Amino acid sequence: MATPFSPMLDALTRQRGVTAALVVSERDGIVVESNLQIGQDGDRVAALAASLYRKARLAARAAGMGAVSFMQLEAPGGRLCAVGGGALVLVVVAEASVNVGLVRVELLKAIEGLSAAGGEG
Amino acid sequence: MSDDVRRLSDELARDPGSRVFVPLGEALRRQGQLDLALKVTMRGLERHPHFPDAHDLLARISVDQGNLQRAFDEWDMVLRLTPGHHGALRGMGFVCFQQGRLADAERYLSAAVDAGDSDEGVTLALANVRAARQGAGTPAGGVRTVDTRREPRLPPGTTHDPRFLFADVLSDAEQTAMLLDSDGLVLAGAYVAYDGRDVAQEVGAELSGVTDAARRATRHLSLGEWTSIVFETEVAVVAMAPSQGDGLLVMATSRTTPLGLVRRLLDRCAERSAKWLGGRF
Repeated sequence: MATPFSPMLDALTRQRGVTAALVVSERDGIVVESNLQIGQDGDRVAALAASLYRKARLAARAAGMGAVSFMQLEAPGGRLCAVGGGALVLVVVAEASVNVGLVRVELLKAIEGLSAAGGEG
Repeated sequence: MSDDVRRLSDELARDPGSRVFVPLGEALRRQGQLDLALKVTMRGLERHPHFPDAHDLLARISVDQGNLQRAFDEWDMVLRLTPGHHGALRGMGFVCFQQGRLADAERYLSAAVDAGDSDEGVTLALANVRAARQGAGTPAGGVRTVDTRREPRLPPGTTHDPRFLFADVLSDAEQTAMLLDSDGLVLAGAYVAYDGRDVAQEVGAELSGVTDAARRATRHLSLGEWTSIVFETEVAVVAMAPSQGDGLLVMATSRTTPLGLVRRLLDRCAERSAKWLGGRF
């Protein structure tokens, strides 16, 4: 069944090197919708990514830097990227070789749709 | 904006590395623009961490803002950099007097006079302090002397005040960096917000646990140990890297800084913090 998030998740997982895309509730880290490869455990990734994003948002607020738009965690074996919109976080897991510029653009494009579908947090 | 402030601002814009931030900060302070004066001075201190006049100015701004403890600490820094500095001794005497520490106030003001401060105000202040002490029934004699020739007291194996550990690594006044321990407490550096406040403690508290969450995420996804986290905000880019003992290095720069440069700056800060933690800096 198609949901408001399906087009953005499909657009992201079509990117070469992207292995998972998830819409997650920032507050409790629960998966709202996901496109995962077979065998991936989305729940734990969602909880950890939401926690990281929340820490970044609170730190930015403490420093008076305004809202966080894009976040990226980098490791030798891949990347975890996220953007927030309202009460939701859109998370992407990707291989190290992914074109992170393209993923970033797709994620930033999705923020508006995310806020509209998920409500303001 | 007065002509002086405009001229000095232009001069600083032309040469951000110059020391003109001190007269500019002073002009702003005199105009009562304390937040702006503080911001200008803090930014300047990031580039010139060992410039006594800048610490002296920061102390006077702090007094105007009612932050006597910070004023005292800054004058203490001035004294370390310039033993016998009249303004610092006078200022520390003033702060002690305001805090009711009359014996300390007398000690600092006496040291100022002994160091050759001929300002009439100091002589008068010293007389007032002595009178106040006698009025309070406290003997004026037996006052400890201030060793104005003392050397800077820095952590063993280091040559820098930890607050300014990254000052010469960062290339722009818009950049700031700090090193946190595993509990989110500040070990070194500063985190200067856009309004000039040092919000290192607040940011550190919010970021405590990032190292653990990042490690768990990358292990769960079999990505290896995490190497960096970068997040973009409306006005800044913040980059983080793991540090020794589950610590966290945090660097912020303006939104206009290219991401490639952000990574290079983060690497340079990481190198500096590793040296510092190893007692090699």
